[in-house]
Amino acid sequence: MKNALKTLRAERGWSQAVLGEYVDVSRQTINAIEAERYDPSLPLAFKISRVFQLRIEEIFDDDSVVVRSELHDERSATPSLIRSAVSN
Amino acid sequence: MTTEQATYRYFKVFIPAILVYAFGSVGLTVTAENVAVPPIALYALSLVPILAMMCVFWAHWRFAGEIDEYLRLIQIKATLVGVACLLVVASGWGTLELLADAPNLQVFWLLPIFWVSHSAATAFISKKEGVF
Repeated sequence: MKNALKTLRAERGWSQAVLGEYVDVSRQTINAIEAERYDPSLPLAFKISRVFQLRIEEIFDDDSVVVRSELHDERSATPSLIRSAVSN
Repeated sequence: MTTEQATYRYFKVFIPAILVYAFGSVGLTVTAENVAVPPIALYALSLVPILAMMCVFWAHWRFAGEIDEYLRLIQIKATLVGVACLLVVASGWGTLELLADAPNLQVFWLLPIFWVSHSAATAFISKKEGVF
């Protein structure tokens, strides 16, 4: 998954090890996320977003989510689906 | 807990346990071949390497829980490779023994096959992923 981790980290002058310490993972894990070899779990993504004081979607960019939202341009479809699911 | 601490805790159990397993297995074999020991005593003695190996697996289980999610994924992948190698050798050689009169392979060797393939897979995956 594309992400701005490296840029954000560089802006703050943090090494991979330091960021890893802040979010309680190894330097190797931060390196793998930055290199887009590994997508973090939701709890780790939340930890990272808290450390940078940004929203998750401001750090991580999932192309597939963008494509899906483009396909389902009629956003009103989702609430109606939820309403019908709840009523059933 | 840091990866270094988890690794230290793992090897603190792994190294003595694997030594007990190795010496226990060799000692048991030598004893069985050279000394007239009643079968019940051999069963009892065989518990030494068995318990040691259980300690190794327990340490590995704890290690996998203590490292972070990415390193855990590498361990899981390596374990899958280890299990795959183990099952391929076991069922493949078993078929050869059954149908082609291949020489008997002691099931004792399954554990070393698992650990060797698991260790090789860990090293290979870690290298490929740029862990070291």
